[in-house]
Order: sequence, then structure tokens, then C-alpha cells
Amino acid sequence: MIKALQINKNFEQGVIELLKFLLENGKVKGVFTLKKISKDGTVAYSLITKPDELKDAVPFYPLMPVNAGKLLSRFTLKGSTNKPVVAVVKPCELRAFVELIKREQGSLENLFIISSTCGGVYPLKMAADGTVEKNLPKYWDAVKKGETLTELRSACKACEEFIPYTADMTVDLIGKSDIDKKCVILLNNEKGEELAKGMKGEFLAKELDKAKMDKIRSKREAEKKKLFDEIETKMNGMDGLIEIFGRCIGCHGCMRVCPICYCKLCEFESSDSEYRPSNYESDLKKRGGVRVPPGTIYYQLGRLTHIGISCVGCGSCEDACPVDIPLSLIFKKVGESVQKMFDYTPGKNVEEDIPLVTFEKEEFAEVED
Amino acid sequence: MKKDEEFMPKILAFLCNWCSYAGADMAGTSRLKYPPSILPIRVMCSSRVDPLFVIRAYLGGADGVLVAGCHPGDCHYDKGNYYTRRRFAMLKKVTEEVGLESDRLRLSWVSASEGPRYAKTATDFTEKIKKLGENSAKNKIFL
Amino acid sequence: MSTPKDSLKNKGASISAKPNTKEGILDFLTKAMDKGVFDAILIPMRVPAGDSFAYVLIKDKSLLKDATPLPSVMSVQGAKAVSSVTRLGKGNMKIAAVMRPCEIRATIELSKLGQTDLENITLISMDCPGVLPVSDFLNAPEKNIKLFNESVQKWDDKAMRPVCQICDKSSMVSGDIHIGTLGAKKDTFFIISNSQKGNDVLEKLGVDLKENIDSWQAKVRSISEEKLKKRKKAHKDLKSEIGGIDNLVDAFSQCINCHNCMSVCPVCYCRLCYFDSDKVKHPSEDYLQSAESKGSIRFLPDTILFQMGRMMHMSLSCVSCGACEDACPMSIPVAQIFSMIADETQGLFDYVSGRNLDEPIPLVAYKEEELHEMEDAND
Repeated sequence: MIKALQINKNFEQGVIELLKFLLENGKVKGVFTLKKISKDGTVAYSLITKPDELKDAVPFYPLMPVNAGKLLSRFTLKGSTNKPVVAVVKPCELRAFVELIKREQGSLENLFIISSTCGGVYPLKMAADGTVEKNLPKYWDAVKKGETLTELRSACKACEEFIPYTADMTVDLIGKSDIDKKCVILLNNEKGEELAKGMKGEFLAKELDKAKMDKIRSKREAEKKKLFDEIETKMNGMDGLIEIFGRCIGCHGCMRVCPICYCKLCEFESSDSEYRPSNYESDLKKRGGVRVPPGTIYYQLGRLTHIGISCVGCGSCEDACPVDIPLSLIFKKVGESVQKMFDYTPGKNVEEDIPLVTFEKEEFAEVED
Repeated sequence: MKKDEEFMPKILAFLCNWCSYAGADMAGTSRLKYPPSILPIRVMCSSRVDPLFVIRAYLGGADGVLVAGCHPGDCHYDKGNYYTRRRFAMLKKVTEEVGLESDRLRLSWVSASEGPRYAKTATDFTEKIKKLGENSAKNKIFL
Repeated sequence: MSTPKDSLKNKGASISAKPNTKEGILDFLTKAMDKGVFDAILIPMRVPAGDSFAYVLIKDKSLLKDATPLPSVMSVQGAKAVSSVTRLGKGNMKIAAVMRPCEIRATIELSKLGQTDLENITLISMDCPGVLPVSDFLNAPEKNIKLFNESVQKWDDKAMRPVCQICDKSSMVSGDIHIGTLGAKKDTFFIISNSQKGNDVLEKLGVDLKENIDSWQAKVRSISEEKLKKRKKAHKDLKSEIGGIDNLVDAFSQCINCHNCMSVCPVCYCRLCYFDSDKVKHPSEDYLQSAESKGSIRFLPDTILFQMGRMMHMSLSCVSCGACEDACPMSIPVAQIFSMIADETQGLFDYVSGRNLDEPIPLVAYKEEELHEMEDAND
């Protein structure tokens, strides 16, 4: 049992009141959360300093226009924030931020994190079509029942990491039928407790319903297995890879929106990967023809080896792809198998080294000759 | 390649300067026989080998890729080969997961004095690759 | 590209297009390879899974039979493909690049920008009815290939990209050789030369440019005039829709800053885009200060900065191909907006991007007396 703050309002109102309290009392100088930013209902992350602006905040909106981990990294890239800021982000976004911190691409100092148990997000195509708003009741209904909608991002349908690891506060959402009336915010650590002190509400001892969480997790696991098996039949060797990535136009949108891809100049856009006329000529000696621009499979496999170890399975890549390649499942599947090999969960612990920068003196005898 | 010619694989071998390259050299000076399938590339340490080199070689049509370094604990730069091992394990897992023949990739530890071991590794690996056949990536257009 | 003899400007050749135009063009290219006029052809082919098309540099001429000169989708803008082959030098192969007019124009702009060496490239264009939006195409590739082919037969652009529907330059000749299908007699197409290189190639192939191409010119003129009317109206409507800071912000409110539009744009060639560089990465204090002055800022800010900045950077070379709009995951009408602005900026200098290789991009040239209307009055 840990300390929790219970506010007798619906979950969104409760959190907004907490955020308002934090701003008004100077406990934070800024709030980072999803907000309705235009009259047509566009939702985007915003940095809010005036309590009044919180009226348009939608902290748990089922949309991820950009992985917030990337945004928090950009916010703290040039140095940690010298004024306290609180951010409301989803579990995978937090994990991505932690992975970026390990790569010296951000800092948690002076940053308070509020997350929640996550019911997933809708694909960005729905935002482009303007159909998210009308599907909100359906979404929250499913969240309350602990179910996963088929319309969600495939990465979300297959996600077992819906409970945040390192948040200072966790809003208990999925599988709870009373979130319309009660907002329960678990205070996971001292930072969380300090932050909530003085807020209007009941302070109780609470915890997540472990049995319910396990049930939801096994449902997600089953869906994951199904989706992974489907992808596996397509990725069956060279020909399978060529087919599945055949539509790829090399826009590298997946790389640009990926929170883990932080390189200023991506290897696959640098002169390292550029073909010279002599490369084309020698390639054409072997093959009758060469796809232009070349290196589609090279790029995809290369990116898998670069970020697979830290892939948090958020699914931003698939939403950015103009030709609908099932990227999030491919990267999630390969990523998880690499992570499993090292018993590593990306974003679980900011102190834990990324497996490829450390080693044991005796290990992996099976890959040696 | 004529039909009746036996398939001689092209195996790219990344050999670390201090151990495996010297070992390969020793195999040569000792006149040990092994198939002419190996195309050696000398690197200062096996940890210089970026997985992208291996992927580039594979997609370029190499039938096999060998990465060889000092025995763990004996790395000239102290711990390079420990990282190599992890990186190689990751690369092998990635190729397995996407259904490419991960058996075409091999990690070996060969010290400077192990000429015979180098020759044996080269021979064994060549045999294995012969059984796997030619790398189909050689002829692909839409890579 | 030197201009051909005047007497040849109104003449072309009439080539047999049996059993159909596509086969006629492929036959022409095969003959050219047979005669050693070209060592390789850069032309789209259907990908193995059948769900898209990709440019392939073909050396083995037996592959040509599977090539598609006018594919139903423009997956990669052809200028990017040409630049990929010759950015770092002209190489040793004589290559024919078979592309749509906007792709040829973009290639010419890239050449002016030092991003492609055209010495060994022969640019071959053809009349273009437009291209299907990629997201529509992917819903049912086979069905849409049929739909596209039917649309080509009827020259019907209903299903094409929005910018294609208002394109008045769909038969513009700015490369070396142009394939004129419009106004040609049944089972034939015209071959027109636009440069010395084009003349030389056709001479080597024994193609005499003696036919009258009036029927092609007339058809092209009438289609272009009709399209121009549509274009002017569309641009007028769009201007009132997105004019003003509020409308502009709304138009781009869904933008997630993925920069896909920039990546697929043939003109955007910078290895590291200004808007991905350190120049737009600020310390947290700056963002907080900005947030404090307004009460709330979108994070990351600078969406309009990116869009207008990109407009400023590439608008003089924009060929209105529409690749940007296809790549946008949020279905923002980027191409329509950028294309409208491009018409205005290019119009300011009487410039048409990609029209002529010898015509410098307006910002690297000047006249000592010009644009006085932009200056402050002296008294």
C-alpha cells in the first residue's frame, strides 16, 4: 500500500485541479500536458504557465501526436530546467525519456512526472480524419472495463507495459469503473508526496489492483502473440523482407518521430550511406538493376540494430509512415527479442546501463565459435 | 558461375590486428591449407566492427561474414572484445528475428599463435556456407 | 541545354505504339540500349509485392519489359532518384531517365543547385494526366492500377492528386526528349527533341524529326489553358481560406513536425535541414519564458516557423509535384498551399522552376534596376 491522493471528481477534472493547484501555489512554474490548441479541436502537447489555460488541458486524451519523451528531451537538451515543471505523459513516453536520459539527451532534474495506467491511443489517421472526438465515449468505456479496442494503434494493442515505472505520481485509470466520479492518484515516492502536499482531497493508502492488472496484461499478451505471429509469417527471409519493405520510400519519417532516434545527423542520411556512381556501377555488374534510392533494407535493418535495444513500442513510427508499413510491430517484435536476450526492459530504471555499453566476463557462449 | 563449377563462397572476415589477423598470417606462413573463400579485412580491434559493416556485407551478397578477435580477457585494448560479443549477439538475434540466415554470421576467438585454429575455423565455416548455398541477396534488385 | 534548331522546334517523329503506348515506349528504350545509346535506364518498376512502384536503374535490358513508364503512384520523386545516381559525379554510364514533367523540372532545379550532374543523363518526359494519391492507391493497389490506366485513356484527372488536377504544366517540355501521347494518331505517339543532346540521341536511333506536331501542340495548349483557369480559381479560394495568421495557424494546427514533407521534397536537398539543426534547439529557460509571455505555448513551438521557413527556402524551385502532401501523415493540404505560394514567388521574377537549365534561380541573380516597388520611396 502506498500513499494516494483521492479527489472526488472525474479523473480528468481531478488531475486538472491538481495541476492548477501546483501552478497557483508556485510548486511548479510550468505544466507540460496535452491541450486542445485550436477551435477545431486539435490536440497537441503544450507548456502551460497560466493556470487559466488549464481549462483546455486534456491530460489523458487518447492521442500521441509526438512521443512526449522526445519533447521532454528537447526541453532539457541544453540543460535541466532551472524552474520546476510537471509533465503528464504516458508510460511509453516516460520510458522513452528515461532511455534518452541514459544517452545524455535529457535530464529529470526539477522535472516532476505524472503518468497513468494506459489504455492506449488512437492512430493519428483518426485525428487527421477528425474522428477521435466522436470515439471518445467508446474509448473511455473500454478503459473502464479494462478492454482494448481494435481501433487503437497496433503497438498499444500489444502493449504489456501499461503501468509506468518511474513516475512520481500514477493516476489509476484502467479497469476502474468509477473514474467518472473518483480520481485516485498514487504518490509513488517522496517527490510525489511533496508535490501533492496541501492539495484539497483525501490522502489514503491505496495501490493498483494487481489481479486486474495481471488479467489485462494477459489479454494484451495474447493479442501481442497474435499480431507478432502475423508479422512473422511475412518476415520470412530475404524475399519476405523485400516484400514487407517494398513500399518504403526512404522518407525516414519513422526515424524522425522515433523518440530513441536522437542523432543530429542520422547515419543513413550521412555521406557514409551515400552511393557514388562507382557504387552503382559495381552493383550493376552483379545485378541487372538496382533500386534508386538504394539501401531500403539496409536502412531498416540498420535502424533495428541501432534502436532495437531501447524500443519502447510506442508506435509513433507506424503513424508517421506514408505507406502504412507495419513498422511498430516489426520494431517492437525485434526490439523485444533483443531486450529479452539481455533481460532488459527499456525505461524501467534510469540507473540501469543500456546492455550494449556494458558486459560480463562470461556470457553468450552460444554465439561464440 | 558455370553449373559444373563448385560453389566457392565469398566470406568476408573482419580480423583484429593483434590476435586473429596475426593468427591468419601464421596459418599462411605455416603453409596450412584452407579454402580460398576468405576475404580478410584487418581492423585494430574486433570491437571496431560496426553491425552495419556486417549488414552491408550481407546485403552486398557476401555468402558469410566472420568476425574474429582475441580471446575474452586477452584483448589488446582490455575489453573491446567483450563489447564485440554483446554486439554480435544482438546482431545475430536481429537477423534471426527477421528470418535472414543468421548462420551466415560467425564470431570466433583466434589468438596470434593459433594458426591451425584459424585454418580450421575457415574450413569449417566454408563447409557450412557451402551447405547453405549462395546468398540470394546477390541478385536482388529491390534491396 | 542548348536550344535545338528552330526548324526542329515544331517537328517531331511519329513512333508506333503497338500494342499500346507503354509497350511502344519500352520498345523504344530497348532499341536504344541495343544500339548502345544508353547503358542504363532509370525508370519505375512495380515492386515485388505489387503494392507500389519504385525507380530502378536498369542495366539488364530484359528487365525493361517489367518497367512502367507512367506509374499510378509517385512513390519517390524522380528528381531524387536522378540526384541519388549522379550527385557525386557523372559516372561512366549513359543513362536515360524516364519521368513525369514535374520530376524532370525538379531535376533541372537540382542541377542548378549543384545536386546532380546531368552530363551523362538524357531526360525523357511524357504527357502526364496526374498521379493517384498514395493513400488512396494503397487501399486497393490492383483496382487502382486499373483505375489509373482507364483515367490515362480518357485523360481524366478526377482521381488524381489535388495539385495534379490544377497542373497546367503537365506536358511541359524542359528535358531532352519528350513523348507526346496527346493529339497523336491512334497507335502512335510523338517524339519531340528539346536539346542538342536529344537531337544526338534520336539521330543515333535513326529517328527523323520530320513530322508535324501541330496536333500535339494544339491539344496540349487547350488542356493547359483549361487547367490554368482551374488553377487560378483554386489558388484564389485557397488564399482566402488560409490567409491571415489565424487561418494559417489553423491550417497547420494538426502538423506534428515529422518533416516528412521536407524529406520527400525533391528540392529540399540539405543534408541537415535548418529546422532539424541546433538553430531551433533552445534551452528550457527560453521555452519557459515564451510560455510565460503567452500563458501557454504549443510544445514544440515553431510549427509555422518550419512551414513558412521551408516555403521561403524552396518556393522558387517548387514544381508543384505534390510529393509533400502524399507524405503528410495528418493529411494537411501542404502541396496545395506551397504550390500556390510558389506561383506567387516565381511570378514575382517571371520565373518558372525547371523550365530551362540556363535560367538561374532568381535569388542568385539580379538586375541593377528592378523591384523598386519593394523598396521604400526615396523622398
